[in-house]
Amino acid sequence: MSNQLGIKSLQEKVSLTLLAVITVLAVLSYMVLHGVVAPAFDQLELAEARTNLTRAERAIQSDLENLSIITGDWAVWDDAYEYVSGEYPAFEVSNLDRPTLINLNLNLLAIYDKDSNLIWGQVDYDDAELMPEVLSILDPGTDTAAYLTRHTDPENQVDGMIMTDLGPMIISSWPVLKSDSGGPIAGSMIMGQFLDEGFATSLRERTEVALSWSVIDRNDKFESTLTTPLNIVGAGSIHQYTTSSEIVSSGLLIDLYNAPLLRLEVRTQRSISSLGNAAVNAALTFLALAAVIVAVVTWFMLRRIIVRPLATLASHITVIRKSGDLARKLGGERCDEIGALASEFDKLTGELHAARILLLDQSFKAGKADTAAEVMHNIRNAMTPLINGIDRVEKSFRAAEKTRVERAIGELVQPDCPPDRAKKLFAYIGSAFAHISSSNEEAINNLEVVSKQARQVEAILTDQEKHAQVAPVIEKLNLDEVLGEAVLVIPQVSQPEIALALEENISELSVCAHRVGLLQVMGNLILNAYESISRSDVPDGRIELSAHQEEIDDQPMIRLTIADTGCGFDASTRDQMFQRGFSSKDGPLSGLGLHWCANAMATMGGHILAESRGPGQGAEFHVLLPAAEGGVT
Amino acid sequence: MNVQPDRRDIRILIADDDEQIMRCYREAFGDSQDTDQVKALDAMDAELFATNPELEIAPKFDLVACSQGQDAIDAVKAAADDGQPFAVVVLDVRMPPGIDGVEAGSQIRAMDPEVDIVFVTGFSSISRDELERRVPPPAKLHYFNKPLSFMKLASDVVDLVNTRGTKSPA
Repeated sequence: MSNQLGIKSLQEKVSLTLLAVITVLAVLSYMVLHGVVAPAFDQLELAEARTNLTRAERAIQSDLENLSIITGDWAVWDDAYEYVSGEYPAFEVSNLDRPTLINLNLNLLAIYDKDSNLIWGQVDYDDAELMPEVLSILDPGTDTAAYLTRHTDPENQVDGMIMTDLGPMIISSWPVLKSDSGGPIAGSMIMGQFLDEGFATSLRERTEVALSWSVIDRNDKFESTLTTPLNIVGAGSIHQYTTSSEIVSSGLLIDLYNAPLLRLEVRTQRSISSLGNAAVNAALTFLALAAVIVAVVTWFMLRRIIVRPLATLASHITVIRKSGDLARKLGGERCDEIGALASEFDKLTGELHAARILLLDQSFKAGKADTAAEVMHNIRNAMTPLINGIDRVEKSFRAAEKTRVERAIGELVQPDCPPDRAKKLFAYIGSAFAHISSSNEEAINNLEVVSKQARQVEAILTDQEKHAQVAPVIEKLNLDEVLGEAVLVIPQVSQPEIALALEENISELSVCAHRVGLLQVMGNLILNAYESISRSDVPDGRIELSAHQEEIDDQPMIRLTIADTGCGFDASTRDQMFQRGFSSKDGPLSGLGLHWCANAMATMGGHILAESRGPGQGAEFHVLLPAAEGGVT
Repeated sequence: MNVQPDRRDIRILIADDDEQIMRCYREAFGDSQDTDQVKALDAMDAELFATNPELEIAPKFDLVACSQGQDAIDAVKAAADDGQPFAVVVLDVRMPPGIDGVEAGSQIRAMDPEVDIVFVTGFSSISRDELERRVPPPAKLHYFNKPLSFMKLASDVVDLVNTRGTKSPA
């Protein structure tokens, strides 16, 4: 229809609109989900990675605190105090052995007197028992050893991380005091744990964080890459970078001297962003599917509720415009606005149809009236001089009639006519003949006028004859409608009672014909049938009207049959009944207008036939007209 | 048209747009003076057969002719102003392109309630009732369809004037 109308169809517009809405919705959804939601998951993931790093750091811190507590327990103990003071040598035998280190999960246990002399010490490293001297940090004279073994304040213990020859270690050094924390300080109790793989494994198990560490190269520029301060051991910063599968978070762990010692690194699987991406993709998929479903449902609903009914209405209007068939109805029982529109349109076309029929009838009648008025006016004007010419001719002859020539001759032939009177009579007769002669000449002139006017009347009639050749307007006519009007010619109270039967399929057929002409033809034929039945002795008269379509010379034609049970006719009557002037008023048929009917049918492209099995056996008249295909022609 | 008529003239105004019809009017209502030949014949007839030619003298018409309705209105007004009103006005109904005879008759009736108005037409869609409504009264309204004999019309006009009395100037 869009091609026919030269515009996009409503269906195309609705489809394009829905497609545009879905596209915009999809783009907006993608932007929101990927621009807002997905980054939120990333931030959450980064936060989790920071938390994991913090948890790892706190776990190390916790181990350091535990180590400090253990060290404190041993250092602030009367037995240990007496042992360091040299008063309880048995302490060594009962407490200081390798199982003690193992039980306390220590790698280093060293006890110094107040002068920083090693009293007892052992290093457990890789299942080997080593002397503390293997650790250079405890070498006498070093700053670290002095820092760890020379406590001056009973409240001052040293806890922290330190790099040893055997690897990084958390270490705690407490002053050795009596159990009531009284002194004086007898020496130093030092305990330590290597930050080895076992330590790391333990941390991983406890924290469920994939952590690791590496020793800082004092010369590297790591500090400069730090981005966020790290509240872990000492000062530091968190550095994070991401790969496709994990977030690597790292921070610095500092030693006893606040110098960077280890870089703690935690690898966090990007499960959150994966879940986020999956959620975003799922949301996008859901939105896309929902949009498609909504669009499809909306499209189908719009198509069903609005587009298709409107397209049907538009198509209906187009058909009416092209065919001119205002009798065509859209129908439908919808109760919504479109239903009301269709109903109102049907009413409108119905009213237009009725108005057109009325207009055609009035136009036909008006045309006839105008033509008749014009013809009458012209003919009467032309006949007026003609009649007056005849009047003058009569007047001329009356002038001759007035003379008394016959009386004068009668007197002249009398023997006793006096000569003087005879002379006067001769003169009178001469003048009278001269007058008659001039009257005759005047009459001839007037007759010429009459002749001229008669020719003028003839010319007017000839001119009208040309107009009579103009074909009437042919339009598409529904048979039901035409016959319904034509049967009104039958008197309402018919005597005898005559049944009128119309086949049901008549309402489905249409012909191309001149409305008024066809009405007159059918009215004449139906009236003829009625009169034929009225004149016959057949009881229960019946007129049947039927119609069907058939092909005649490859042209679809409608055959209208008017069958009656009336007088019928013989073959001789049938051959003459359509001739001009034929009338059988004394016979079974009135013959009313059959010649005119035949001519009228011919002007409509049809013809009329008559059949009868004989007098008293009814008759059938067949009217053949082109079937309507396109409407007004 | 301004010739002073004698006491027996019947002043008549005729409006028709058809020149041929108007010629018929002129012949029927025009000067019907006998020729010398007829006068001599009538004189001899009277001398020989003792007839009286004076008894057969037909009334004469003072005819004013025009072809449009407005001209007819103007002529009636001028005649009234001159003190020589028309006894009869004959109007064609259809006189294009100007106003039609009915409208002209209506205006003439408004100027002269006494004049007899005769409508003559080949065809008119205006009914007699409509004519009587627009150009009253019915007693002074006459209607003829063409074709008609203008000699008969002239005779009827004479009868009409004789019945109601002429409006010849004093």
